[in-house]
Amino acid sequence: MTTHHVVGHDGWMAARKKHLAKEKEFTRLRDQLSAERRELPWEAVEKEYTFEGANGRQSLAEIFEGRGQLVIYHAMFNPETAGEHTSWTSEAACNACSFWLDNLNGIGVHLNHRDITIAAVSRATYPKIAAYKERMGWTFPWYSSVNSDFNFDYGVSFSPEELETGEVEYNYRMTQWSGTEAPGISVFIKEGEQIFHTYSTYERGLDMLNVAYHYIDLVPKGRDEGDAGLGEWVHRRDEYPD
Amino acid sequence: MTQHTIGTREEWLASREELLKREKEHTRLGDEIAQQRRDLPWVPVEKEYRFDAEDGEQTLAELFEGRSQLLIYHFMFGPSYEAGDPVNSSIADAVDGVLPHLHARDVTFAFVSQAPLEKLQAYRRRMGWSFPWVSSAPTDFNFDLGFSHTPEEGREVVEQMMGGGLPSIVDQNARSAGTDAAGYMTENPGFSAFVHEDGTVYHTYSTTWRGLEFVMGYYPILDHAPKGRDEGEAWQLWLRRHDEYE
Repeated sequence: MTTHHVVGHDGWMAARKKHLAKEKEFTRLRDQLSAERRELPWEAVEKEYTFEGANGRQSLAEIFEGRGQLVIYHAMFNPETAGEHTSWTSEAACNACSFWLDNLNGIGVHLNHRDITIAAVSRATYPKIAAYKERMGWTFPWYSSVNSDFNFDYGVSFSPEELETGEVEYNYRMTQWSGTEAPGISVFIKEGEQIFHTYSTYERGLDMLNVAYHYIDLVPKGRDEGDAGLGEWVHRRDEYPD
Repeated sequence: MTQHTIGTREEWLASREELLKREKEHTRLGDEIAQQRRDLPWVPVEKEYRFDAEDGEQTLAELFEGRSQLLIYHFMFGPSYEAGDPVNSSIADAVDGVLPHLHARDVTFAFVSQAPLEKLQAYRRRMGWSFPWVSSAPTDFNFDLGFSHTPEEGREVVEQMMGGGLPSIVDQNARSAGTDAAGYMTENPGFSAFVHEDGTVYHTYSTTWRGLEFVMGYYPILDHAPKGRDEGEAWQLWLRRHDEYE
């Protein structure tokens, strides 16, 4: 017998409508935040960043692929620093990042038709990236930033000197961090020849972009993660035991 | 030269940190609402629903495939449709890649539509999707939950809408699905959640319309891009099936 509160349809409907009012409030607040986000000032990108990808060496301007807006998913993958305590290995990107990338893979074509190129960027060399991308069957562009400051400048890679202090600047504050990589999303716009950085988000700011999480929030058990977070349950898609 | 406000790193950072506070409030409000959703009372499902599935007839309990939670997308594909519309198809695009992760959280995800199974199967093959998709043609399931209507009701809905002018997306989607507006409007889009405990199936949650936007994976991303959704009155008119973009 369930211990959950069970009612007839009318009782459920009354509770559901009350909840709907809160959901609408949440949706409207999201609309409002999206408008405020678009009003943020832009900062000009002054450095020349280069990336290695399927088309060889390319500049930040080139990886827009001719569109006006570029959304970068900073995927944690750095074979040089892979070890027992990293969520990435020498051959595979981090399991949580892989979960996010599964969410992005099917919708790139729709984004492309709203003037957006979506791509992933990691510190791994391109051959490592290409091998893992093939294993996972993903089709979005994914670049190596191994020879540029890009990841450091957008707050998702940390130098040994920074890490030595035990605290790094991440998600707009100083925080304890031990790994060389962190997850994030950065957004750029190109107007004429000039590129501007418009937005970056990290940590739980990324939840909003994970469709699977929104689904999981609709079912009775919810995320069911406890203090350990998703690290306890999330696996690369092809590594689940069943 | 851009018309947008340009700032230095410090100016951008100051504005970004202000917005971050509000984003965090929104995230926490989302957590609170998710908790309230889980606290909603449940309704036992008393009727015996039987669906047409790939391996023959399946009951609602069987759709759980041994897991304890079932999420159903009521994909708009009525008896008069020849194909799914681009908007519903884009929702399917966003979920197909994450099924193993949902399974790992004890959730089975299935699609239910009112059209005969053969039509659903043919369309699923064309789009290359892998989720289970069953037909509710033999049951009242979609009618009881308010996601399917009779052709007569479909006509009434369209007549009511005509007063305020039929939204362009209805007309475009109806044509794209190979039916007319009244035939198209026999269906509504939405999600329903169920839980299976000790031999009983309970209905826990349903949502529709803007409640679906969170799982239309491209919308949250557009909401973070400088141009936003950029739809105005022409909402969703830009969407195409993934194999039909020019």
